Amino acid sequence: MERYDVAVVGGGTSGLTALRQLSNLGKQAVLLEAGSVAGTKNVSGGILYSKKPKNGRVYNIEDVFGREFIDEAPYERAITQYILHATSKNKLYSIDLTPVHEYQINYAYSVLLSKLIPWLAKEASDLSEKMGGGIISGVHVKSVRWEKGSNDTVIETDELAPFRVKAVIAADGTNSELADVTRARNKFSSEQLYQGVKVVVKLPETILEERFNITSEEGAAHLFAGDVTMNHIGGGFLYTNRDTMSLGAVYHMDSMMDSPVEPSGLIDALIQNPLVAEFIKDRVPTRKSNHAMISKDEEIRQHFMAVKLLKVWNNLRSEYYSKDGIKRLIESGKYKTKEEIESRITILEKELIEKYNCEFGDNYVELEYSARLIPDGKRCRMKAPYYKNILFIGDAAGRGVFIGPRIEGLNLGIDDAVRAANAVARSLDRNNFDEQYLGSFYTKSVEESPYTRDMKEIDKEYLKIFLECSKNIPKDIVGSRYGMIFKLMSSSTLRGIAVGFANMLGFDRLLPLVESVDTYVNVPVELADRLGKPIDSNYVPNTPSLQERIAKLDYDDDSVPHIQVTKPRSEFMQKMVTLCPTRCYSGENGDVILQHEGCIECGTCAYETIWRHPRGVKGVSYKYG
Amino acid sequence: MSEPTHNLESNSENLGIAEPYQHLYVVIEHEEGIPVPISLEMLGEARRLMDNFNKKYSSNEKVVAVVLGDNVRHLCDDLIKSGADVVVYANHPSLRHYTNLLYTKIICQIVEDKNVAGSISPIGYENYKKPRYMFFSADNTGRHLSSTVMAQLESGLASDINKLVISDLEIRHEHKTKGQLAKYDKTLEMYRPDFSGFLWTTILCLDNRNPAIAREYHPQSCSIIPGVFEPITKEDQRTGTFIDFEPRISDEDLRVKVLSRNIIKSTIDFESCKIIVSYGRGIRDSPEENFKLIEEFAKSLNAEIGVSLPISKRPYQTKDQHLLSYMVPERVIGTSGRKVSPVVYIAIGISGAVQHIAGMKESGFVVVINPDTDAAFRDECDLFIRGRMEQVLPVLTELIKKHMLTIEKRA
Amino acid sequence: MGRYDCMPVRPLNVGVIVKLEPDFSEGNVSYNPDGTLNRAETKNILGPHSAAATLAAFYCKVKYDARVAIGTMGPPIANQALRQAQIISNADELHLYSDRIFAGADTLATAEVLRLGVSRMNNGLGADIVISGHRASDGETGQTGPQTAWKLGYPFIGNVIDFHIDQESRSIQATRFISLYGFYDVIEEIQAPLPVFISADPSYKPSFNTVSERLSLARNLNEARSKADNYEKYLQVYNSEGLGADPSFVGLPGSPTIVYKVEKIPKARAKRRVEFIDGNDAAQLETVAKKLLQLMTEVPIK
Repeated sequence: MERYDVAVVGGGTSGLTALRQLSNLGKQAVLLEAGSVAGTKNVSGGILYSKKPKNGRVYNIEDVFGREFIDEAPYERAITQYILHATSKNKLYSIDLTPVHEYQINYAYSVLLSKLIPWLAKEASDLSEKMGGGIISGVHVKSVRWEKGSNDTVIETDELAPFRVKAVIAADGTNSELADVTRARNKFSSEQLYQGVKVVVKLPETILEERFNITSEEGAAHLFAGDVTMNHIGGGFLYTNRDTMSLGAVYHMDSMMDSPVEPSGLIDALIQNPLVAEFIKDRVPTRKSNHAMISKDEEIRQHFMAVKLLKVWNNLRSEYYSKDGIKRLIESGKYKTKEEIESRITILEKELIEKYNCEFGDNYVELEYSARLIPDGKRCRMKAPYYKNILFIGDAAGRGVFIGPRIEGLNLGIDDAVRAANAVARSLDRNNFDEQYLGSFYTKSVEESPYTRDMKEIDKEYLKIFLECSKNIPKDIVGSRYGMIFKLMSSSTLRGIAVGFANMLGFDRLLPLVESVDTYVNVPVELADRLGKPIDSNYVPNTPSLQERIAKLDYDDDSVPHIQVTKPRSEFMQKMVTLCPTRCYSGENGDVILQHEGCIECGTCAYETIWRHPRGVKGVSYKYG
Repeated sequence: MSEPTHNLESNSENLGIAEPYQHLYVVIEHEEGIPVPISLEMLGEARRLMDNFNKKYSSNEKVVAVVLGDNVRHLCDDLIKSGADVVVYANHPSLRHYTNLLYTKIICQIVEDKNVAGSISPIGYENYKKPRYMFFSADNTGRHLSSTVMAQLESGLASDINKLVISDLEIRHEHKTKGQLAKYDKTLEMYRPDFSGFLWTTILCLDNRNPAIAREYHPQSCSIIPGVFEPITKEDQRTGTFIDFEPRISDEDLRVKVLSRNIIKSTIDFESCKIIVSYGRGIRDSPEENFKLIEEFAKSLNAEIGVSLPISKRPYQTKDQHLLSYMVPERVIGTSGRKVSPVVYIAIGISGAVQHIAGMKESGFVVVINPDTDAAFRDECDLFIRGRMEQVLPVLTELIKKHMLTIEKRA
Repeated sequence: MGRYDCMPVRPLNVGVIVKLEPDFSEGNVSYNPDGTLNRAETKNILGPHSAAATLAAFYCKVKYDARVAIGTMGPPIANQALRQAQIISNADELHLYSDRIFAGADTLATAEVLRLGVSRMNNGLGADIVISGHRASDGETGQTGPQTAWKLGYPFIGNVIDFHIDQESRSIQATRFISLYGFYDVIEEIQAPLPVFISADPSYKPSFNTVSERLSLARNLNEARSKADNYEKYLQVYNSEGLGADPSFVGLPGSPTIVYKVEKIPKARAKRRVEFIDGNDAAQLETVAKKLLQLMTEVPIK
């Protein structure tokens, strides 16, 4: 049996960081990823943070990948604006939360993981190969075992012969199979989870910058609470990428279970909000069906021509509306002036309209639909994130920060990854992988992380800045609901005491108050109704059906289902018929049956099923993530 | 015998000169002595072509079936009944399973053998060199075999043919005729569809008449697409010549060995079906009864049965083993199952999910039977029959049976 | 004892025959008003079957540390196929056989050029195993591979879905997948001494089943990517003279077959125009039955 030092399971940002850190420390490690290429199964909201806490330190991605990350990595934009909108029908009340967002950060970059992760993977694997390790993709880890009389762990996969390692870092996400097969922890329940669902929307670069009033060095994040949530606890978000936007919603799984709504419907509600509609609007062609009596031959020829012309128009327009695009087009020699390009675009449109039955109008362009489950660290982080010589990091360890508008996951996984890699390196040096030496050491390190503190208590500095930003909100809207506490919070003198008190009470008691329909729906709705500005949108976005969204995704479905329904009649499973983002469940005579083709592996149904990822290479592959 | 009404120039047989290229040799494919359907289809088309050829040119060229195998002599009688005039049979244990190397060698030995030609036609074989025409099957075996045989015989091959015509042509070609107009009689026009584009191309295999590159190219050969031509109706009283051929095999020829051969469970053969009938969740009200109707209907059309993806998950409780055997992943049509393109596709009780459409959208003519005119399938079909399958299928089945009888009576 | 314990196994030389083909996917393909392919406006890519063949060569590289050479016959732009093939296979040598007199070649004349090229591969050592794709997407005869094999004198083994080379006995064991239409499917195991010529079944996917093989795979892929940036370094161009070709056996002069004429048959499905039928109306159902029977008896152009 082949033998290696360390196995890292999962090729997301956390896993790749662990691999790179181990390589930085001169250690040999093999990373196993189920997707055909690292990055095809990752989805993020997504913003990646780098932080500099006043007390303690966290490890940021540039600490591991070097300055090259900031200079070369294909992240999207630096987010420099952060605005929260309370919504009620067409009225919006906006609060500038940029100071809150900038609290203790070095930077915040919007990211599309399917683009970013391959870069991280190359950086990690180049160094790792020098240490005798590397990245293996298209491999699904199905179990681990420990053999009697040996300290090694045997890793079993669907695709490879089993092999031995000395330590394992589990970075396999919220629905960690390693956590499940080793029973290191319970599956996360719906109170402990958030369901995030999003779409990537296309908008040419310079149009986007004009729309959001940002330069090419800037980016915007817009958050939404109020009627867009359809009475669920959570909210919507819209982040600007380079020439796309990540538009989505994150909802407390509990509130989704209470009143199930199809996740794609929540996206549609967000899209129909006039401010969002105006943000995502673009000039979009549609082809009308041809009622003229032309021969089938001619119809086919026209179809191919139209598709080709549309492609040319699209490419030219994207280039024209990209940074330095006009310059590049002129340098290529094809065009002499900006006006020539514009006139060519107009000519193309004219040809498409006159000869090929095209119409150009206002709509938006959706590129990719995705969903995932995110753990709420406050409620489910593993207190001892290890099992024997397996260390759990990131989502697999239940680590995620959710505090009001603050949602962070990627950076936590990265911090965990470094701590885990350091712990494993230490163990390799001493050849000691006992729980007391490895697991406990790692646990202690994680406890010391400022992120862990954020999952245990309220940061009063953060709160202060938040309140500062929302000081214009009339107190009577909020006050009547939260009464005493709010009065205390708003007074700067009493705030310190109030926070101390709150921290003594603990998150358990406070959370129901903060994370309530009041906070996320009623208050924002009232705010918008009373103080909001009306925004009008002059078009109705044409949202694709769920079928159309699924049809755009890239699948290599396995013939064998990867999820098994064990309780076809339970209440939980009945709700999955609505809550599965890709309608993989349907009810037939009281039983819930699964059609696994089309599954995007979000894990919404994991709690009451035998949930596994598909075999290597199989399943969904994201293009944007 | 009536006066020949042909051009004196073009039929040298009339002048008593024996032709170097004669007969149509058909390379037969069989599995353990049972002819693969394409073999009989090729013989059918060969028979028709050569009957016309012999009539038009007042000649007596033969359809020669070439069989290689081990102890499969019984196959040869069958071939005569199916249209062959002559069967040349090479028997040898090492010919039991096809290997390209050995089969190519032996076939070339046969088709270039003057004595064999003499046995086929005792008159006029003195100048025999090679066949005039050769047919192979356009399947995995035939396509490769035809290529190597033609490489050895140094002549031309057109593959994936679905139409054949023998004609006298006048051709002007830069290289072959040095730009001059030349007569090419008895030319085999070989039509092949271009699968990835629009084109139906006609290929010819022609001698180079240009003195600078003079060369004769015979046999004119092609590999034929299965399922296109019809075999002739078997004629029990047909007789023909049977020739035993002693293959010359060296050790070198045996160096490729077949170690094992495993027949894998036959997948549902959707490819050779002209019509496919699929059903979906529309059967839900009474799965067993509805399935019986569907099966009857499919039988009347000689159609194979497919299912939509949800059906393969067996969503309906039933003890009917027969129905259960049809609710399986192997019959699923769609992105996660099979992609089909039959001449006619009939979807019963299927709403038309994108994944299902993707599996059948290349079909020729699409019929949908569904009570819901808003079903997505309405945008992807040619005929939408609005109605419940319980009402429509029995009526349609009867009508088809009735009209089928009329057609058969006429034939 | 000592140095002579492990004699180095004679390295494996692999040759691949590939083709540059039009990209028939929507948005890339262009058709002329008369329905013929507009080659000038259509992008060209390494044909998908050629890509499968290239993958098979890559398998040899990763597993047996083989030397891989890739060759193609075509106009100068065919070097794009070679570049794409190198990205897949980390090839060591790229051959372009290009000469105006090669134009118009049918498969026999093409095979003549290719067999001359193959014998010059791998620094003139030729190839122990030559791999081609099942067929090309344009043209699609599937004949060139077997004919090249025959001219080289190598046994041809087609529809290979898996294979292993025993470097000591210099032999190959291959698994073939054969569909017999209207019959059943067969899986065959074949053994033959090298050299051989195989064609990769379109479904061919190499499998590497240990961690070390996968790591070697990843390393080779990285190396391939950086080589492809600089692919001219590995490119050798041969014209007719360079190959020692006899002009009367290549190109149009060397082709037994010619294209006589070309007709149009639309293949892609235009948007269908649906006709609605009332399922309760017996008369309408009668026309449906007749239409179905009519379609059943027509000869299909498959």
